[in-house]
Amino acid sequence: MAVATRPLSDQLDLWSRRFKLSLLTLALLAFTAIIIIPFVWMVLMSVRTTGEILNNPYGLPAQVRWQNYLRLLFDPGIQFYRYFINSVFVTGCAILITALLSTLAGYGFGRTRYDFKFRGWLFALLLFALVLPPQVMYIPQFTMMATYGLINTPFALILIYGALGLPVSTYLMATYFSQLPSEMEDAARIDGASDFRMFWQVMLPLARPALATVILVNALTYWNELLLSITMVTRPDFRTLPAAMMFFVGESASDYAMAATSLVTATIPILILYLLLSDKFIEGMTAGALKG
Amino acid sequence: MATAEQTVSLPQTNALTKRASDRSSHSRSPATTRRRPWLAIALFIGPALIYYTVFVVYPLFATVYYSFHTIAPGGGQVTTTFVGLKNYQELFRDSTFFLAVRNTLLWGFVGPILEMCLATVLAFVVYYRVPFWRFYRVAWFTPILVSGVIIGIVFRWIFNVDWGLVNVALRAVGLNALAVNWLGRLDTPIWVVIFVHLWATFGFSFVLLLAGLSAIPPELVEAAYIDGASRLQAIWRVMLPLLRPTFITVLILSFLGKMHAFNVVWALTNGGPLHYSETVATYMQKRAFSYNSLDLGYPSAMGVVWFGVTVIGVGLISRWLRSRSNDLN
Repeated sequence: MAVATRPLSDQLDLWSRRFKLSLLTLALLAFTAIIIIPFVWMVLMSVRTTGEILNNPYGLPAQVRWQNYLRLLFDPGIQFYRYFINSVFVTGCAILITALLSTLAGYGFGRTRYDFKFRGWLFALLLFALVLPPQVMYIPQFTMMATYGLINTPFALILIYGALGLPVSTYLMATYFSQLPSEMEDAARIDGASDFRMFWQVMLPLARPALATVILVNALTYWNELLLSITMVTRPDFRTLPAAMMFFVGESASDYAMAATSLVTATIPILILYLLLSDKFIEGMTAGALKG
Repeated sequence: MATAEQTVSLPQTNALTKRASDRSSHSRSPATTRRRPWLAIALFIGPALIYYTVFVVYPLFATVYYSFHTIAPGGGQVTTTFVGLKNYQELFRDSTFFLAVRNTLLWGFVGPILEMCLATVLAFVVYYRVPFWRFYRVAWFTPILVSGVIIGIVFRWIFNVDWGLVNVALRAVGLNALAVNWLGRLDTPIWVVIFVHLWATFGFSFVLLLAGLSAIPPELVEAAYIDGASRLQAIWRVMLPLLRPTFITVLILSFLGKMHAFNVVWALTNGGPLHYSETVATYMQKRAFSYNSLDLGYPSAMGVVWFGVTVIGVGLISRWLRSRSNDLN
């Protein structure tokens, strides 16, 4: 109706805008294809046989072979389950350390009640580690672990990972805690609650979104970490997934189907965690990062 | 009441570090005259600081100490010999180190700029709600979740000379001449590394910039339209200048990411061929643990130099961008 009464020039304008918009959409879809195709290709490869892949790397599976995944997970020759368990154990314990230390420190750094003369200094010192390349510290970390006989145990990785995510996590927690209103804290104090009970029963439950962000950010880092993993652990039994995959793909270079299956499987836990925590993750990440 | 308001509004002055001085300047408010809960303070920040000192501060100083020594671990004990500046002198004669520095600096310069431009365009596109924007927002973020090792391995296949996706696609459209051995030549591998890392990390910058855009008050943009600005002028004159703090964050984080990156390079090219895609991170790892040279002093010197370069780089980026924004105001 409105269109019918429009003058011709407006009509042309409308069409040219539509044309531009579809060009833009086309370009964006092409760009998105570049992002997505590697994933799709990986998943397709993971349900084919290596023979099929060698014949035609880009064909569709003749028959979807989910048994690849069963073989990967349960074949004692591959021992994927062992690396998987190692990774879960290391990541889980390290997150526990980081989350515990950073929530406590975030509370101490974030609330005005605990301010003292050099607190800002100490906080800046802690944040300085964000600039440090991990490579600058990992050689003494290695000798330290060697001195205490922790090389080739998961504990070397757990202890060092725990420190790896500490600065970012403390920063995120401190930012969040500092934005919480103090009325509830005051009320709890009047009721005679101790500092620690106030933290544990009143403030920490309020900071759950920040805690979710801390868990996800660190899970992402620890689960995917390679440098320390190949340095601290050389015994195959204790390898984590990224290290194991480097060797797995290197050793069985021709078994593309199994390699693709392992790559997909190694990504799934993080995907699940991301889907569970995603709203809070992006929100918390950006809230923290934009402050700096 | 006044104190309650203060504690709510103070965090808005964004740097937490500033607040210590803020408080001491008008320190007679009731909250500060009360005795400080030292025990609670120690309980809250003590554990993290101790942990941090043991696992970060000590190793940092130890690296500097190591860099003046020859450190040979073996047989359950470490032999340490003082060698003065020898490790640093050797660095200047090490042509592989020069190659690694050149590659990493090239990457640290080109990578963040490419990433910021790409992420800015994409953030605007989603900000203006083009068709399928919800889908884009999810799809562009996914590479962040995947391990650098996996990305490296998959892209090693994608850039395979015979059956890699890139070359298959190039041959399919008749560009046989462009279907080169991407990972086997001397000149292309570092660019493949730059591309793959861009692919892997732009999503993060995109999310940051999108959040920065969404934080711009709509009144400011509307005011520009009322003053007769076109959409392009509004973007160029109003929104981009307001995004400057986000640009600083994005550039610094991206730069640090390139300086720290290890996984992708290690899995994709392993520094090869002939060290032509070596980065400082991969070369350090090789010198420290892969070669049988058994000396941790030399790679430590590399680490110290690299730490200096990273700090200088971050300083330059923030100073450059801050001074430009001062010019504008």
